[in-house]
Amino acid sequence: MAGSMYLGFLWVPALLPIVGGMILLFLSHFGPLAKGWEADRRLEIYVMALTLVNSLVLAWLIAHFGNRERLVLFRLFGDLTVMFCLDGMGRVFAGIIAFLWPLAVLYSFEYMKGEERRSTFFSYYLMTYGVTAGIAMAGNMTTLYLFYELLTLVTFPLVLYPMTREAVRASRRYLYYSIGGAAFAFIGLVFILSFSVSGTTEFVAGGALDLVRANEKRNTLLFVYVLAFFGFGVKAALFPCHGWLPKATVAPTPVTALLHAVAVVKSGAFAILRLTYFSFGTAFLKGSWAQWTVLCAAMLTIIYGSTMAVKEAHWKRRLAYSTISNLSYILMGAVMMSPLGLVAALSHMVFHALMKICSFFCAGAVMHQTGKTHIYELDGLAKQMPKTFACLTIASLSLVGIPPFAGFISKWNIAQAAFELGLGQGLVLEQDGGLSWLGLTAVAVLLYSALMTAVYMLTVAVRAYFPQFYSVPAKASVMQQEKKPEKAGQQDRKSTLDPNWMMLGPLIIFAVLILGFGLHAQPFMDLLMRIGGEAG
Amino acid sequence: MMEGWEVFIPGVCGFGLHFVFDGFRLIYTLIAVLMWMVSGVFSREYMAHYANRGRYYVFLWITFIATVGVFLSADLYTTFIFFEIMSLTSYVWVAFDEKPESLRAAQTYLAVAVIGGMVMLMGLFLLYSCLETLEIQELSQAAAALARGEKGKLYLAGVLMLFGFGAKAGAFPLHIWLPKAHPVAPAPASALLSGILTKTGIFGIIILSFQLFAGDGLWGLLLTLLGLITMAMGAFLALFSINLKRTLACSSVSQIGFILVGLGMAVLLSFAGENPAMAARGAFLHMVNHSLFKLVLFLCAGAVFMKLHQLDLNEIRGYGRNKPVLKFCFLMGAMGISGIPGFSGYISKTLLHESIVEYQKALSEGVVRVSGLTNGVSLLSALEAPAAGLFLSQGFWTTAEWVFLITGGMTLAYMMKLFIAIFIEKHPTRQEEFDRMGREGREMNKSSRAVLLVPALLLPLMGLFPAFTMERLADMGQNFFRNEGLSHAVAYFHWENLKGGLCSVGIGLLLYVGLVRQVLMANHHYVDRWPVNLDLENILYRPILQTVLPGMMGAAFGLLDRYIIDVPVSIFLAVSAVVCRGMDHLADGIILLARRTSHRQVREKEAVAEHDWEAGWKKTGRLIMESFSFGLMLFCIGLCLTLGYLFYVFWTG
Repeated sequence: MAGSMYLGFLWVPALLPIVGGMILLFLSHFGPLAKGWEADRRLEIYVMALTLVNSLVLAWLIAHFGNRERLVLFRLFGDLTVMFCLDGMGRVFAGIIAFLWPLAVLYSFEYMKGEERRSTFFSYYLMTYGVTAGIAMAGNMTTLYLFYELLTLVTFPLVLYPMTREAVRASRRYLYYSIGGAAFAFIGLVFILSFSVSGTTEFVAGGALDLVRANEKRNTLLFVYVLAFFGFGVKAALFPCHGWLPKATVAPTPVTALLHAVAVVKSGAFAILRLTYFSFGTAFLKGSWAQWTVLCAAMLTIIYGSTMAVKEAHWKRRLAYSTISNLSYILMGAVMMSPLGLVAALSHMVFHALMKICSFFCAGAVMHQTGKTHIYELDGLAKQMPKTFACLTIASLSLVGIPPFAGFISKWNIAQAAFELGLGQGLVLEQDGGLSWLGLTAVAVLLYSALMTAVYMLTVAVRAYFPQFYSVPAKASVMQQEKKPEKAGQQDRKSTLDPNWMMLGPLIIFAVLILGFGLHAQPFMDLLMRIGGEAG
Repeated sequence: MMEGWEVFIPGVCGFGLHFVFDGFRLIYTLIAVLMWMVSGVFSREYMAHYANRGRYYVFLWITFIATVGVFLSADLYTTFIFFEIMSLTSYVWVAFDEKPESLRAAQTYLAVAVIGGMVMLMGLFLLYSCLETLEIQELSQAAAALARGEKGKLYLAGVLMLFGFGAKAGAFPLHIWLPKAHPVAPAPASALLSGILTKTGIFGIIILSFQLFAGDGLWGLLLTLLGLITMAMGAFLALFSINLKRTLACSSVSQIGFILVGLGMAVLLSFAGENPAMAARGAFLHMVNHSLFKLVLFLCAGAVFMKLHQLDLNEIRGYGRNKPVLKFCFLMGAMGISGIPGFSGYISKTLLHESIVEYQKALSEGVVRVSGLTNGVSLLSALEAPAAGLFLSQGFWTTAEWVFLITGGMTLAYMMKLFIAIFIEKHPTRQEEFDRMGREGREMNKSSRAVLLVPALLLPLMGLFPAFTMERLADMGQNFFRNEGLSHAVAYFHWENLKGGLCSVGIGLLLYVGLVRQVLMANHHYVDRWPVNLDLENILYRPILQTVLPGMMGAAFGLLDRYIIDVPVSIFLAVSAVVCRGMDHLADGIILLARRTSHRQVREKEAVAEHDWEAGWKKTGRLIMESFSFGLMLFCIGLCLTLGYLFYVFWTG
């Protein structure tokens, strides 16, 4: 590893987009280029170049950077340092964002074409990249917390972007929830600082707590863990802190897709993984009441998210509820507190990112091309947008967990982790039957959620492929009211409505990857297994 | 035991795919090839006038690969993967013509497939977690090595997987998709759905019954009961239906019941310590037979449908007159499925019947022991007494035998109903037109005729020379059932065995004359007595899945959302607004005080310049500022709590 020579490069992926975004923001508001850049290609080239360079640097770092090396950026005071490192888990998360960001940027060029205040939008979009990379590379809880708060601040203007009354409300709610949650997380930070072996918040695989001191205050610390879990859980849309996510779908689709299905919510899940496996440590938490509390919360969220998704008729909101449910799959894997659990959580983190961004981009493509936002308006659209809906079908099947798609692999892992936990623990309801209630509950939850996923994802695809599927008059009347007749009427007659390559390209890449990971996941799973072995 | 070739493709789809090739799999692969070839050739004529037949062919061949994948799989993981692919691709067949009723049927099919698949997956999870292997060959050892206390989980896994496989096979109460999907799917597709896709479900049930639960009394009883209900109900429905393809679909349900009874009896016989070979061979041969019967019968139905576009018996009656090839093929299929001596169905049904008789014999000799039925699983202990009662009750097994014979009779009755309606009776108005089509040989083209004759000729050949054909097949397949072969040869055409078959035939004739001609016909017109109101799907499944489940959960979570989250949040917001306002005033007061006293400022008028800002922007800005302040306040609360606690810790030492 040639890492030490290039140690200084570690700050680049976090700071480059932040600085680049700030420059863009500054220029577009005050600079001489402000007017010209608004509609110009130059904006796109600037944003794309910055994103690509950043992704390449990140990819290079992922490939070459040493596991143990740490870069201290600066000291806040005393032992509180802002520090970067890239360990296995950080690599996985950094890899996801480095791969998805350029594609999402490409998609948003087309999606945002002709909108006002594009440069503002892209400047915050860029900054979010840097902040998310910072979260992925954070080497201690302090840094993670810092970037976590920053993430709220830079994504907030993106939710606010449409500037409608609804958007203002949604963004306000987002801010309340996020900062409030971060306050709880902060409590966790302080406790880790005072109870860790080293007296810092640095991440240590297997837990940083001084077990002797920690066990004296065991219940307090467990309580703090639950608080911090729910605090970070706000971003991961854990029930009952999920309220902001469905509301935040008012934002433009590239934001909903990349941020509210991947970057932001996965940052929450990632922070929880860090908290559980690298700060409090599984040795301390495993088998405690705190584990059961958070596990129950995760299972409740899965049921909640998939139920509400079925009842939701607005396509993007339905996907948001689906995100709530799927994020808790990750959390459920995470709180199994075993190497296998970590592997399951990480694999679902990666696969769900692909599946959900693909689904959201399909929804966005439909909105962009036809202006349709509700599911009952989609009748027969698949004939006009065959490629888009082919991608959607793949993503849907994968979300349900049907082989040979990627979602099946991660669901399999989560269930295995759940069973392992159910077997390993002493919570066996009925000794001679060998039925542990936890394993069974997990099976029931997964089953219920899989069925509901099938309902809420496949109905969309089926409606689009086979029109007049639900010839229910009640629905028709709703459709009459909400559809804008002149616009829909004009565009329905066009032969094909598939978007151009800038939107379609990312979609197809995601669909192919979902299939590819589903068919041959072994190398990737081996990689995750190594990470799980290190940390569990 | 494992002979032939094995292929392992590591890394694909997670665990890797594992295939093996042995006698049973060879036979079923060959049957799959035969069926797809015949229906593929037949499709050329049948589909000639459909616009989007490209789609049909694509999915036809993907399903072929997936089906062969299921039959060749050597571990349940591989089975599951191909099973799911097959379920989803065959959905397109059912939805093919995109009419509302097809789409509704396709929806049912998809729902059953997805639900069955998911439940099965849960079963696989459980199975894997307690056995740590999914290799079919290793299952029995792993299950035997399982600690006594773990058996409960094994049963649960088994039942979940039975649900998934049974849904595909069409076993009661998940048979609902067959009578809906078959009439609307293209005929070659119906032939495949009924002839071979249902058999993939049976394939799974065989693995469960002979690897996991070999010799397990309760499992055998469960299968036998399911089989008896399925076969009787399917036959009843078939009698009442007047739609050609729906009758055939119900007949499929009924025949699947026969196969299940055979599998159940095989498990029960080995539980009782007898040789299970007869039942297992009977079930296997009936599987093979049923594949061929349904291929022939559905393609004949297709030949009718592609010219008339009608399936109602009253509309198509008399169509088959003067069409010798069609008549011959249908007759072969009908006689075969009815178990007329001399046809292959007779052989397999005789074996199945004999296995029930054998169990009765064992019972009367008193060799059946029922101790240790539940394997010490306390959840099942409530079942022990009633199950033991059934095992030992002579009356129950006599009833089972009669159900079997009567169902055999009903099979003959509904096939006679079809045959007489289509090939013997005359159509009241269009008979002349039908006859002319027959004379000109326009009912189907040469290639369709040729491929239809192949399976139709196999049936009597197999039935007349069982020793050369069917016995050989059964020998090849029996490894899969893990048994050693028959202890004594069966004399199929001996009076003892003919008696059962002839008894069924007698019942069938009686039923036809007494029930079909008298009750189900009025004024020479077939009356539709299909029990619409007894549709399990409409009275039970759809309401539960579409209304009750999401409704209940939705209501519960709606309440949670409203009262657990919204109420406290709004109370909190209201309180915090008052507090913030108060603090705002306080801060204003301090600033005002400061300005008046120590920080006296001269130029106060400049501050008013902000009126130039756009009003909307200002409002938004205020909202943002409020949000920020609120968030910061929350942050402060967290901070204060933490600091307070730290103080407390330091104070107490």
